[in-house]
Formats: sequence, structure tokens, C-alpha cells
Amino acid sequence: MASRKELSSVSSSGMASTGGTLDSPVKQVQIEGLVVMKIIKHYQEEGQGSEVVQGVLLGLVVDDRLEITNCFPFPQHTEDDADFDEVQYQMEMMRSLRHVNIDHLHVGWYQSTYYGSFVSRALLDSQFSYQHAIEESVVLIYDPIKTAQGSLSLKAYRLTPKLMEICKEKDFTPEGLKKASIGFENMFEEVPIVIKNSHLINVLMWELEDKSTVADKHELLNLSSSNHLEKSLQLLMDRVDDMSQEIVKYNTYSRNLSKQQQQKHQYLQRRQQENAQRQSRGEAPLPEEDMSKLFKPPQPPPRMDSLLIAGQINNYCQNVKEFTSQNLGKLFMAEALQGQN
Amino acid sequence: MSRFFATGSDSESEESSSADEITPKAPGTTLKQSLLLSDDEEDTKRVVRSAKDKRFEELTNLIKTIRNAMKIRDMAKCLEEFEQLCRAFLKSKNIVDKEGVPSFYIRLLADLEDYLNQLWEDKDGKKKMNKNNAKALSTLRQKIRKYNRDFETEIAAYKETSLLHDRNCSTASEILCLHPKDESSSSGEDDDDDDDDEGWSGESKESDSESSDGEAKRQSMAESFLKTGSDKGEIKKLSKRRDKAKARKHIEEEEEDGGEEVEGGWEKVKYGVPLVKEKPKMFAKGTEINTTVVVKKLNEILQARGKKGTDRAAQIELLHALAAIAAEHNLGQGILVKIKFNIIASLYDYNPNLAAFMKADMWKKCLECIDELLDILFENNNIFIGENIAEDSENLAVSDQPFRVRGCVLTLVERMDEEFTKIMQNTDPHSQEYVDNLKDEGRVCGIVDRLLTYLENKGSTEEICRVYLRRIMHTYYKFDYKAHRRSLGLQGETKSEQDQEESEGEDSALIMDRLCKFIYAKDRTDRIRTCAILCHIYHHALHSRWYQARDLMLMSHLQDNIHHSDPPVQILYNRTMVQLGICAFRQGMIKDAHNALLDIQSSGRAKELLGQGLLMRNMQERNAEQEKIEKRRQVPFHMHINLELLECVYLVSAMLLEIPYMAAHEFDARRRMISKQFHHQLRVGERQPLLGPPESMREHVVAASKAMKMGDWRTCHSFIINEKMNSKVWDLFPETQRVREMLVRKIQEESLRTYLFTYSSVYDSISMEILSEMFQLEMPTVHSIISKMIINEELMASLDQPTQTVVMHRTEPTSLQNMALQLAEKLGSLVENNERVFDLKQGVYGGYFNRGVPRSHASAPP
Repeated sequence: MASRKELSSVSSSGMASTGGTLDSPVKQVQIEGLVVMKIIKHYQEEGQGSEVVQGVLLGLVVDDRLEITNCFPFPQHTEDDADFDEVQYQMEMMRSLRHVNIDHLHVGWYQSTYYGSFVSRALLDSQFSYQHAIEESVVLIYDPIKTAQGSLSLKAYRLTPKLMEICKEKDFTPEGLKKASIGFENMFEEVPIVIKNSHLINVLMWELEDKSTVADKHELLNLSSSNHLEKSLQLLMDRVDDMSQEIVKYNTYSRNLSKQQQQKHQYLQRRQQENAQRQSRGEAPLPEEDMSKLFKPPQPPPRMDSLLIAGQINNYCQNVKEFTSQNLGKLFMAEALQGQN
Repeated sequence: MSRFFATGSDSESEESSSADEITPKAPGTTLKQSLLLSDDEEDTKRVVRSAKDKRFEELTNLIKTIRNAMKIRDMAKCLEEFEQLCRAFLKSKNIVDKEGVPSFYIRLLADLEDYLNQLWEDKDGKKKMNKNNAKALSTLRQKIRKYNRDFETEIAAYKETSLLHDRNCSTASEILCLHPKDESSSSGEDDDDDDDDEGWSGESKESDSESSDGEAKRQSMAESFLKTGSDKGEIKKLSKRRDKAKARKHIEEEEEDGGEEVEGGWEKVKYGVPLVKEKPKMFAKGTEINTTVVVKKLNEILQARGKKGTDRAAQIELLHALAAIAAEHNLGQGILVKIKFNIIASLYDYNPNLAAFMKADMWKKCLECIDELLDILFENNNIFIGENIAEDSENLAVSDQPFRVRGCVLTLVERMDEEFTKIMQNTDPHSQEYVDNLKDEGRVCGIVDRLLTYLENKGSTEEICRVYLRRIMHTYYKFDYKAHRRSLGLQGETKSEQDQEESEGEDSALIMDRLCKFIYAKDRTDRIRTCAILCHIYHHALHSRWYQARDLMLMSHLQDNIHHSDPPVQILYNRTMVQLGICAFRQGMIKDAHNALLDIQSSGRAKELLGQGLLMRNMQERNAEQEKIEKRRQVPFHMHINLELLECVYLVSAMLLEIPYMAAHEFDARRRMISKQFHHQLRVGERQPLLGPPESMREHVVAASKAMKMGDWRTCHSFIINEKMNSKVWDLFPETQRVREMLVRKIQEESLRTYLFTYSSVYDSISMEILSEMFQLEMPTVHSIISKMIINEELMASLDQPTQTVVMHRTEPTSLQNMALQLAEKLGSLVENNERVFDLKQGVYGGYFNRGVPRSHASAPP
């Protein structure tokens, strides 16, 4: 699902394989260069390390295309201002922007990420509430680390209708998820992104590219890889641990369940036998009892978390795969170059 | 009281009387004295007032008993007396009508009510009361409430005035001065208010002057009286009367003190007859004093023992007197020994509850008594004492047969030892008093020693074991400086008296060895043997005989079953383990030291485990009762093990173990912490926002650890061994210099190891010469350390002999590879878990995971 797109200023190519078959109202996201710049700037100024920055996207829907024309950041949360009213802040910001004639329609939100770890319960919940209120809203995920390595990484995601339904019903039991036939692969759908600039800006870009020295572009050719990989692996391992725990939990649950089922079965058999005996003796059969009271089924563990973890693991793996394939390419290239010299 | 004992006054009687006076200082005395005073003055003035006097005396007597009952919280008695009082009051109704309600009566009512209310509020105390008392309390409370309603105004007035008196005694005394004149001028007809006034004035006087002061006041009052009277004859009469009154007062006091004492015959003794003349009082005049009579008397005295209300101090007195009589009449040593036994026993009994400790003079007396007893026993070889000698088979009379006395010196001495511990526990360890008390330790030891020699001749093996254990308990924790010096070959230069003293006698090690071995061989109770072993180990460890101590510990198998023994033994065990650990540290056995100290330190309750103080836990966890028990278990301060030293030794040994280990296993996911506490300290150090120069011992160790992590042994060394640490820790060891040298050496070695672990990846090869220079170690040491590391496969390298270099092999995986390996492992377990789910599901469920689990996503890292 998460096939990566190299996003240059005009990249509309390399769309996700699933992109074309979206059954959602939004089939494409078109972002103003301004928005991208603002998001990047926001992270540069406020986010450090693993901290995450968030903000609101503004724009409007044209046919099946969501145009994001502006955005504004959320202030960083601190413990001091616990009574900070987010909603009011948003409303006021939007009103103020409206006064200066900027699109003020709320069409989603953006968030930075740390080594691609964004598939979380928090994201799911807030995106659900967004999408529930404003159908066309998307979440933009900006990866500053990848961007720093030389390729802008910005992705738009939406919850699939299936997941929306499940979230609406709040049914995260194994059966519920099974019935909805939802897996980690089809929880989120990625919407292709196009970054659009005005012609003047495009012209400027061309000019700048001409002027920039070769060294500026060398970021892309950096051969060192272990640091990034280590980090990714570390995170991946943590998630795998979580996954293991989830599985163990589920395992216990299903073992308990089957044990109980067995007990129930035995109990019923015994009862039948007894009834048969009583009948033969001409006595009245034993009264019916409420089975569900006798055998309370164990509380099934919520499965949503493991789904999310699976999604996150998948995400990491994609990242690692992509990163290594690029790096391998670079290494071969470097080898060839060295051989030539 | 003491004044009346004038002739016989040795320190004891004075002490006991003073002790008595402490207790009844409550309102009782003031009332009584005021009353007496009024009587007194009445006497001087009027002769014919007997009806009133009589009635009032009756009342006062009753009141006194009530007050006494109040003091001992005997509610039943209170109730009974109160009813009597009411009746008596009714009887004296006509007098009261004439005189007005006497003030002392009002005062009692007010006090009693307050007291009852206070008791009523005290829920805990009420619970502790027995049924009778509790019942009496509630009835009495009801009654007095009802009764007091009649006297409401008077009581209110009393309370007011009592407050007033507290505030301005000066005015009160003024009134006092005026008063006699007043009285002299007034004739018999205004007796009534006069009397009232007296009541108040007397009281006011008492309120600002305690019992002794009162006398002086009275004197002045008498003088003023004198002036008005201006009759010499009257002075005499007056003073005489006053004396009489005083005497009466004292009698009454006596009665109060020993009110419940039944031995009517000796009341006279207390009446101020000199002690020497006491004998005839004790025994009827002319009675021939012989053994049987004395024994009878002794039994008589002893019967009162343990009963409520028995004056214990007086009892001791009596016993002493009896001993004197017995000695005087040459009744033989047998009876003397018997009486001594009882004196000591009643000395121990003096404190009613177990928690209280003996007062200093009692303690001194006790020591003297025991000493005397031992003197007698040593002098007279023909006295048999034993617990199992029956009362009737005792032979106390002087005859050819040896004396047979029931009793056990050993028990007495053991009790004395416990009392000593208790005294030490209850003295502030930082006061001079503690030092003074500690000086008695020598005497205690002396007594134990004497008893030991005595019992070695006479006692059974069991008794010998017990007394040996006492001796051991007084020896094991003391460092034998003399032997230490001798072993160093520094004889001759004895510095102080104390040293000289100590250099006499045999080595404590030899003594310990002898005593302990005897106990090992002969003892049949497990407890004594366990204690002896532990003390023996402790003593070995204290004197750095590590191998002996360790072997003994291992052979005894105490580690396995110490959990079943009682807390004091466990405390001793803990102390021993700690001492063992510290010993190992001094010997440079870092690992052993760490292991020995781990249990104590990791709990974080070292203080409690060593019996050196109570931890402040949340209070509901332990009630007052438990706290008392725990307090009794505390080890006296002079036996304490320095906790900072303990912690420092532990942390330093943890550092020496942990830092190289951490360096070696930097990437190992399954790395185990050797010492949690050490890690905790490190974390605390890291959390510090601003790192100043280290202050505390812990900070020093943390700073040293950081330096060691970098392989910087010089910094590490300077952090561990410096002025501050020397004064805090290292100087506490007997062989400071040796320990420090050992430490430096260890630091160098471990730093070298850490350095090699940490930086081996950046070297292709490294010269051993440089290493030896870097760490100030000799070449062979460096060589051996590196060889050991290579053999243990800690360092992937080989030695190149001709060039004296270490060649690294670089077979260690990089961190990324390590990571990948770990991930693979984790995925393996994940798959396994998943498979298990799958197994379970098959058949039962459709297989939720049929669509595949993230198993497939374990993409292999490069």
C-alpha cells in the first residue's frame, strides 16, 4: 500500500498502485508549495528529535481532488497550559485567516513523524473523528529525516471505509474484525499527492536549480547507512516485541476460551445423562439453566492494537526495504566508480 | 520520707524516696497540703472545732484515696470511694451548711470530672481497661455529672480561680501576707469565711511553691503571725504544732505511698526511726533472729512482690535491711546469697514494663549486688546454687552440710547483660552519657568473666555454653588492636593507657576460638551454636582472616536455614555477612565482597536489616506494639557497622565488576545487570541537569565510574581515593594503606580491561608496552590480563610475541549486525508464538490469521 513516491515539485507520476481504485470521495491531493514549505518550517522550528508537530490543513474540494492551499500549526503541548482550548484556537485562527481572504475550510491535518512511526492509536482516533466530521479530510505525514537525506517525504492518508465502519461501531473484538475482513493492509489508504506551484515559482525553481552547486545535491549520494538502519531496526524490534506480547495475550485468551468450551460441553453431557436417568426413573427433568451465567466467556482482548502494530511494522519494513535498495544501488555505483579510478 | 530515714540513709533510700516523689506530684499533694495547713492554723487559733475537723478529715481521707485510685486508674475503687464520699458529705451536711462547701471538696469534684472526661475520650485506654473498670468508669461518669450539677457555680468559680492563681501568684502571696493579720483581728465569730479563705490561701501558696518551697513560706507566714501575736510562748507552741502537722503530713504521705502495703508491723520503720534500730521493729522485740525467722520474713516480703500497689523501692529497701540483719547475726552465707538473689530480682522487677530501662543508680546498685554475690560465691566453696533445688530442700542454716540455695546466677547475669543492652539502646549515642554508660561495659565484661570462671568449675555444660556465649557476644565485635599490632611487629610502643590495658591477657582470637569450639562440641541447643558460629565468623572477618571466616560460613550451611531463626539471630547473621563482605573487600576479593553484600544492599533496607535503626515506613504497616518489639531488637550504637562504609564498599566493588562488564556487553540485548543499586546510582547521576564536582560518597563513586568507562584510571583513582573519601570511608579500615593500594591496583586493572573492551574496535594492533605505560602496570600483569581476556573469549585478538603487541581479529559483529541478529531472534519467537495460536485455532475457529501474519514482513536487513 505504501509504495513510495519521489516527490519533486512536479511529481504526479509513480502513483500508488491502489491510488486509482479508490472508492473515496478524494482521489487526489493537490498541495500548494506554500503548504509544504510551512510544514517543513514548522518542524524545523519546533520539533526536535522524536517530538511530533501537528497542524491544520485548509483548502477545498474540487471534484474528486482535494486542494490544500494553506495550513497553520498547533502550538506545542506543554503541561503548563493544560486548559488550552484547541477548538477555540482553531476557530479563531480560521476566522482570522478568513479575514485576510484565505481558504478557511478545514480539510484535514498534518503531522511529522520520527523514522516513519506514525501508525498509532492516537492517529487512528483523531483521523477517525476528522473523517467522521468532514468526509474528505486527509492526514499528511511529513518525514523530516528522510527529507533531510535528500528526498522530500510527504504522504496523505485516509482511513478506508471499512475501518471507518468498525471505528464507528467500536467493535474491536476478534470476531468483529474478522467479519469486517480488515487487515493491517487495508486500514489506511494512501492518496496520491501532487504539489502545485504557480508558474512564477516554477520558473524561479528552474533558475535556482541551475544556479545551485553540485555539492547541494550530494546529500542524496551519502553512503553512510548504518545509523539510519540501526534506528529503524531498533524501532522495528520494539514493535516486534509488542506484537509478541499481543500474540501471547491472544493465545491465552483463546486457550481459556477453548478450555471453557470444553467444560461447558462436559457439563451439558453430564446433564443430559442425568436427565436420561431421571426419565428412566420417571422423575421430572432438571430445570434449564442459563448457560451464559454459568460460563462467562473470557473478555476477548481488543485486536485493534495488534492491527496497528502490524501496520506499523509493515511501514518500518517498507522503509527499511526502500532504504536498503537505494543504498545498495549507491554502493554499487560507488564501487564502480572506484574501480574506474 | 528521706528525712526520717536520716540515720540509715544510704543512697538507696534517698533515691527511692525521690523516685516516689516524682509520681505523686499531681494535684493531690497540693490539695492535701493546703488542707493540712488549714488544719494547722485552726489548731493555732481555735481549740474547739472538733466536729468540723473530724468531718473534714474524714472527707479528706476519702478524697485522698480517690486521688490515689485515679492515679492508678482503678475505676472500681474510685467509684466505691466516691459513693462513700457522697455519704460522708451528707453526714457533714450541717457543718457544710454552716461553713459553706469546702474548697477541697469542690476541687476534687472538678478534677474528678475532668479526669473522667479525659479517660472517656481516650478510646485506646478505655479499650485496654478491664471490664470492671470500664463499667465503673461509665457509672462514675454518670454519677459525677449528676452530682456536680448541684455545685455548678462553685466548680466554675474554682476553675476560674485556679486559672487566676496560675497567672498571678504575686497577688496570691500578697493575700497570704495579709491574711494572718486579718485572722488575728477577727475573733471567733467570723470563723466561717475565715476558713474558706484559708482554703484558698493555702492553695494559692502551694500553687506557686512546690512542696519544699512551701515550708519556707509557711515559715514566713508563721513569722508574720508571730508579730501580731507577739508572745514568745506561743512561738514555741506554734512551731511545735507545725512540726506535728508536718509529721502528720508525712505520715499521710507515707500512707499514700504504701497505702496498700499490708505489712502493718513495719510501718513504724518508715516513721523515721533510724535504720539501725529497725531490727527490733522488723522482728518483734526479743525474737531470736535465726535462719528460719529470716527466711519467713523474706518470704513475707516476697509475697508482696508483683502485686498491684506494692512499693517496689520500699521492697528493695526491706530486702537490704534484711540482708544487713542477716549479716549482723552471722546467719551464714547461704541466707545472704538467698537474699542477694532476691534483691537483684527485685531490682530487675523495679520497672514494670519490658521496654523501660533501668535508671543509672539502680543499674549501679545491680552491678554492685552481682559483684558482691559473686564475691560470696567465690569465697565460699560450699554453696550450691541451682534452679532445680526445690524451695523446701534448701539448706540455708550454718551446718556441716554445704549450703544449698535455689537460684541461678547465670540467669541474673544474663538479665543484667540484657539490661545493659537496653540502657545502651535507650541512651542518645551522641551524648556524653552514652560514653559514661559504655564505661560500664568493662564491668559487665568483668562480671561475665568472673561468672565464667565460677561456672567453669561448678556449672553444667549447658550453663557453660550459655555463659560462653555471653562472653563471645561481648568480644566478637571488638577489634583486637593489640593482636593487630603484634602481628605487625609493632610491640613496645603502647600509646595510651587503654592500649596498655588491652595488651594484657590473651588474644581475643584465641579466646574466641576456645570458647566457640567448646560450644560447637558441647552445645545441644541450636541457637547458641548458631550465634557462636556467627560471632566467630564475624570476629574472623573483622580481623581479616578471610579464608577462615569464609570456610566457617560455608561449612555451617547457615545460608540455607537462617530464614527459620528468630529475628535477633537473623540480624546477627546480616551483620556477619556484611562484615564478611567488607573483609573480602579488604583482601581484594571484589567478587566475593559484592556477593556477600548484595542481599543486604539490594533490599535498600540495610539499616533495618542490621538492626541499626527503624525505617520510616507508612505507619499503618506497623502498630505501636510492633514498633516496640523492633526497637528492642536494635543493636546498641557502639556495635554498629558504619553504613556509609558498607555502601561505599558495595558500590566500589559493583563498579569494579560492572563497568568492564558493561563495556564488554555493550550490544548484548540480554545483558544482565550485576548490581541494580549501582545502576540506580548511575541513573541518578545522569539525571542531574548540572554536574558539579562530587560531594557525597555516592557521587564520588558515580564520577569514578564515568571515568572508568572511558578507561581513564587516573581520574577514577582520584575520585575514589582522595581527602574526602579517606575521611569518610577508607580511614575507617584498620589497614588503610594496604586497602588503598589494593584499590588502586584493582582500578588500574579493571580500567585496562574496560579500555580494551571499549576501544578494541578502533585498533588493528596495540603494543603492550604502551598499555603498561598507560595504566602504570607491569608488563607481566598486562600480559596476563590480556591473555585471560583472550582465553575467556572476551577479546578477539592474539598476542604477537616478538613485537609484544596485541593483534585484533575483528570478528565481533558490528552494532548493526548485532541488531539484525537480535531482530532475527525476536522474530523467531514471534513466529513461534504465532504458530501456537495457529495450532490452537485449527478446527475450532475458522482461523482469523489465515490471511497471514506480519511474519512475512520480517524483511532481512542487510
